[in-house]
Amino acid sequence: MTAPFLVARNIAKRFGALTALADVDLEIRSGEVLALLGDNGAGKSTFIKILAGAHPPSDGELLIEGNAVAFSSPKDAAASGIATIFQELALSENLSIAENVFLGRELKRSIFGIPFLKRAEMRQRVDGLLQELDAHISDPEAPVGSLSGGQRQAVAICRALNLNARLVIMDEPTAALAVAETRKVLALTRRLAGRGCAVVLISHNISEVFEVADRIVVFRRGRKVAERLATETNHEEVVSLITGAHPDVRALEKTN
Amino acid sequence: MLVACLLAIAIFSVASPHYATPGNAVTVLRNSVELLLIGLGMTLLLAMGGIDVSIGIVMGLAAIAIGRILGADGSPYVALVAGPLVGALLGCVTAAVVVQGRVPAIVGTLGLLGVYRTAVFALLGGQWLSGLPSSLTDLLATTVLGIPVPALVIAVAYLTVWLALRRTPYGLHLLAIGNSEEKARLSGIPVIKVRFLTFVISGVLTGIAATFYVATYRNVEMSIGSTSALDAIAAVILGGTSILGGRCSLLGTVLGVLLLRILQNGLLLIGVPSLWQPVVTGVLIIGVLGFEAVSNRLPLTRFQRARA
Ligand SMILES: Nc1ncnc2c1ncn2[C@@H]1O[C@H](COP(=O)(O)OP(=O)(O)OP(=O)(O)O)[C@@H](O)[C@H]1O
Ligand SMILES: [Mg+2]
Repeated sequence: MTAPFLVARNIAKRFGALTALADVDLEIRSGEVLALLGDNGAGKSTFIKILAGAHPPSDGELLIEGNAVAFSSPKDAAASGIATIFQELALSENLSIAENVFLGRELKRSIFGIPFLKRAEMRQRVDGLLQELDAHISDPEAPVGSLSGGQRQAVAICRALNLNARLVIMDEPTAALAVAETRKVLALTRRLAGRGCAVVLISHNISEVFEVADRIVVFRRGRKVAERLATETNHEEVVSLITGAHPDVRALEKTN
Repeated sequence: MLVACLLAIAIFSVASPHYATPGNAVTVLRNSVELLLIGLGMTLLLAMGGIDVSIGIVMGLAAIAIGRILGADGSPYVALVAGPLVGALLGCVTAAVVVQGRVPAIVGTLGLLGVYRTAVFALLGGQWLSGLPSSLTDLLATTVLGIPVPALVIAVAYLTVWLALRRTPYGLHLLAIGNSEEKARLSGIPVIKVRFLTFVISGVLTGIAATFYVATYRNVEMSIGSTSALDAIAAVILGGTSILGGRCSLLGTVLGVLLLRILQNGLLLIGVPSLWQPVVTGVLIIGVLGFEAVSNRLPLTRFQRARA
C-alpha cells in the first residue's frame, strides 16, 4: 500500500461554544475513493472545509505527502492540489460558465505588467471539459444563474477537473441530480481514482457509496466513529454506525 | 435611460426659454464633471456590494488640501498631485475600517462621514477658502487636440475602468464578490485585496474630482460635497448598477449622472429653489429601488435587466 496523500491528525473545530469536530484522524490515499458518511450536522462539511482551506482547524495538523501544511485560504489548498466541490457549490451566478470554471486562477497574459484575461483560450478549455463530462451545456458564455441544478453541478465539477487536482473532494455532488446525471458523476469519481487521483465523496445515499467507494468513514456528532473497507462491511452495518445503534459506536460514546 | 434623458430635456425646453441653449448645455456638462468621477468609483463600490456615504466629504478634504497649497502660492503641479494623493490616503483609511476592520460598509462610512465632516469644520475654522490664485485653473482650462482637459480625463478614467472590469481578473473578482463574498472567498479570490484596492480607486477618483472642483470654483466652502454621495448613489443605481452588487453599467452611470444634472438644472430654471434638489435625488433613489424591488418579484426580471 502506498503512503497516503493526505493525513489529518487530531483535527478539531470549534465555532464559539459549539464543537463541530473533535479528534479526527484520517488518511486519504491516491487512487482511492473515500466516502464520508454521517447524519445531518455530523461535521462532514466542516471537515472537508478544513481540508479545502476554507476554515482553519482549531486544533490538529494536516500533512500532505508527509509535510505539515497550514492553509490560510482556499487558494493555498488549491495550490497544494486539492480541489473542492462545496455542498453550496460556491459558483457566482452573475458570471458565465467559463468565468466560473477559471475564477480565482484565470489564464492571463501580461501587457505592461497588467494582467489581461485570455478569454478565447479559457472558453476553449471549458468547451473541452464540458464535452468530456458530456454535460449538455452548449454555451460556455451563459450565466451560471440561468442553469439548472444539475448543470451547475457540472460546472462545479469542471472547475475541479480544470485544476488537475491530486485530491478531489465532492460534498453531496449527486444530491440535486437526476438518475442519468448521478450515474455520470459516479463514473467520474471512479475515473478520477483510476487516474491516480484521491477522491473524497460525501453522500447520504448508501447504495451509491457502496457502488464507488473503496473505504467508508462514518462521522457522528463531530467524531469519526468508524472506518471500514467497503468490501468488509454492508449496508445494514453502515446504517447502524450512522444512527449510533452499532455496539462499537455505543461503546465509544460511553467512554467519551 | 437615454430616452429618459431626452424626455427630460424636451420637457424642460418647453417649460423654460433658457433651457435649450448651448450655454446651458455647457453648464450642465460642467456641473457633471465631479459627479462623473465620484460616480465611477461608486459604480465599482456598489457592484462589489460595498458603498461609501462619506465620499463627498472625502472630496471636501482633498479640496481643502489643494486649496491650502494654492493659497500658499504653491506650485499648481503640486496641487495637481495633492488631490489624488489625499483621496488615495483617505481611501486607505476607509478600507482599513471597512475591509480590515470588518465593519459593514454602510455603517463604517457613516461613522467616517461624521469624523470627516468635523475635520472639514476644524480645518476651515468656519471660514471659506476663497479667492484662490488661478494657477491651477489656467493649467486645467486648456484643451488637448481640441478636447477640454476634464473631458479627456473623464474619458481616460472610464476607459481604464472599463478595461479593468471586462479584460482583467480584477473585474471578475469584483463582480464575484458583489454576488457573494463567501462564495468568492471559497473560489480562491483574494477578497480583502480586491475590496481594499477598490476603496482606494474610489478615493483617487474622488481626489481628481476635488482637483477639478477647486480649479473651477477657486474656493472651498463649508458645505462642499455634502450632497455628492447621495447624488452619486442615485446616478449609479439610476444607470442600472445593482445596489445589491454583482452587476454594473459604466455607460449607465454616465447617463445617470447626466439625467440627474439635467433634472436638477431644469428644475432650477423653471423656478424650483435649489434647496429642493436633494428631495429630487432622494425621490429618484426610492423610485428606482422601489421599481427594482417590485420588478424582482415579476417573471419579467431578466428581460428588464437585459434592457437596463
Ligand atoms: N460557520 C459555522 N458557524 C457556526 N457553526 C457552524 C458553522 N458551520 C457549521 N457549523 C455547525 O457545525 C456542525 C456540523 O455542520 P456540518 O455542516 O459540518 O454538518 P454536515 O455533516 O455537513 O451535515 P449535512 O449532512 O446536513 O450537510 C453543525 O452543528 C453546524 O451547525
Ligand atoms: Mg454538509
